[in-house]
Amino acid sequence: MEDLTYVPQLTFEILGVHLVFNTMTILMTWIVMGILIVFGILARHKIGIIPNPFQVVAELFVKAFYDLTEDALGPDLAKGYFPLICSLFMFLLLCNWLGVIPYLHEPTKDLNTPLSLGILGFVIAHYSGIRAKGFGTYAKEYCEPIFFMAPLNVIGEIAKVVSISFRLYGNIMGGSIIILVVSHLVYSLVLPPLLLMFFGLFVGTIQAFVFTMLTLVYISLQVK
Amino acid sequence: MWETISLVTASRFLGAGLAIGFGAIGAALGEGYAAGLANEALSYRPLKSGDVLKNMLVGQAIAESAAIFALVIAILLIFGGGEPEHAILAWPAIGSGLAMGLSAIGSGIGAGLPAGAVCVGIVRQPASANKTLTTMLIGSAVCQTPAIFGMVIAFLLLFLDFSQLPLYPGWATLLGAGLATGIAAIGPGVGNGLTAMEGVTGVARNPGTYNDTNRTMLVGLGIAQSTAIYGFLVSLMLLFQTVEPNSALVASMAPLGAACAAGFGGIGPGMGIGYVGASAVRWVARRPTATATLTRTMLVGMAVTESTAIYALIVALLLLIVV
Amino acid sequence: MDIGGPDFIKGMAFLGAGLAMGLGAIGPGVGEGFAAGKACEAIGKRPEEAGLLTRTMLVGQAVSESTGIYSLVIALLLLFVV
Repeated sequence: MEDLTYVPQLTFEILGVHLVFNTMTILMTWIVMGILIVFGILARHKIGIIPNPFQVVAELFVKAFYDLTEDALGPDLAKGYFPLICSLFMFLLLCNWLGVIPYLHEPTKDLNTPLSLGILGFVIAHYSGIRAKGFGTYAKEYCEPIFFMAPLNVIGEIAKVVSISFRLYGNIMGGSIIILVVSHLVYSLVLPPLLLMFFGLFVGTIQAFVFTMLTLVYISLQVK
Repeated sequence: MWETISLVTASRFLGAGLAIGFGAIGAALGEGYAAGLANEALSYRPLKSGDVLKNMLVGQAIAESAAIFALVIAILLIFGGGEPEHAILAWPAIGSGLAMGLSAIGSGIGAGLPAGAVCVGIVRQPASANKTLTTMLIGSAVCQTPAIFGMVIAFLLLFLDFSQLPLYPGWATLLGAGLATGIAAIGPGVGNGLTAMEGVTGVARNPGTYNDTNRTMLVGLGIAQSTAIYGFLVSLMLLFQTVEPNSALVASMAPLGAACAAGFGGIGPGMGIGYVGASAVRWVARRPTATATLTRTMLVGMAVTESTAIYALIVALLLLIVV
Repeated sequence: MDIGGPDFIKGMAFLGAGLAMGLGAIGPGVGEGFAAGKACEAIGKRPEEAGLLTRTMLVGQAVSESTGIYSLVIALLLLFVV
């Protein structure tokens, strides 16, 4: 129980730059990427009117998220941003579900993963906003509704990134700590599978969906 | 000046008083609300008094369960405990009393709301009484989850051996563990109750939407638990981290500050998220064709409402880990 | 417990940070929740306007968030600067 905050790391120095790699997180992320790539290959294999099972699942995701993206961004913009949104959701869903498999840990348990995805969404949203509206209009929006609200609006934007990242991290990390502690207390009888079902599968799905939806909404706020 | 034995026994009694004192508030409020709505229902249709009374009692029994947890903790505090040898053992007693008592407030009020709604619902639509009752049982049961978090922390504080913990800052970590879960469970309890109440009313108005309404209600209830989970998480971290003896004021105030942040931070967002869930479920029952849009908006709205609870969690984690 | 001197200030600063963020989260939580609830109601009445209603909800919630952000800034100041 004392190793709750233990993170296996690999440290080395290259040219005077101190590099730290969290090996467990990287390994788990590669596993998620591997599963998604295999799923993608199998879904495209013998694509046809009568679909194979993987194609059915893939079409389910694509249809649901294309509708969502089109709803938020409008038909012409949706085509551009749809791959980002769909792959973000599939990646996060599988990341959060990975903890259910024994000996595997969720990559989102490490703050680096949600934070980097949050910053990714933030940069994409603001870059698209500047490109669509021009820098002048974009900068003037920070002065709404009154001029001296500008620093607060800036902090608000940063707070958006912080809140979506920490929401995902807090829920997944908290869930895994709760599962660990309660399983230790009940000597792993009866409760752990139920907890894994709730915290791992249900909360994981909801949090992945919320993260994706919020990224989509932030992009649409900047671009429209 | 303070003899160890009398100090520890006195604080056990104090903890018992806090547990049942706070714990009695919520259940009584919720059950009273249920009884009031039962009478209103009977005023519409007096001949259904048998059914209404039966369902009111079932609902009130569920609302009572949080108070019964608090009663159990209070009795364990009064009659348990052997010869105490360490002054530190005063603080788990107070902490567990606070954890159980405060968390029972929200769950009590929250479970009373659907109990009242089921009475009105049955009178409105007697043919679908079974569906309405099932929705209430599901909703009320999930409403008790914050009180269960409080009870888990209370049991941990009662039965784990803390005698090896140094007094300073051990007192703050133990008191903080109780406060964090206790206070944080108030908001989600009430919020869950709001959502469950609208779920029951929706099913009573429109029994054909039973599946959609139940599903949306469960999703909403699941997210409303997050703020209680943050408080539970901070409590667990306070209980299980290694504590170095340190008599500086700083080392005691840091855990206490973390507990206040995570605890109070759960009140507002918990109730707000519950209100969002209630609105969404209500309109899913009225317009099932818009379920997808409503669920999406509900999730986004809940997520943004939760942001201040997340800031509070960040401050709590900073106080625990970084500082 | 030693009480006094610069250590006292730091200790109270930590407690203050916790209270600032904790109590400061109550208001925005209830307010933003009310806004989102009313947005759900409006979408229930008129599902075809979902885009406009969601955007308005988010703008309103962002303004309501501002006091929460003040609390966060003060809490961080108390933690790291004082």
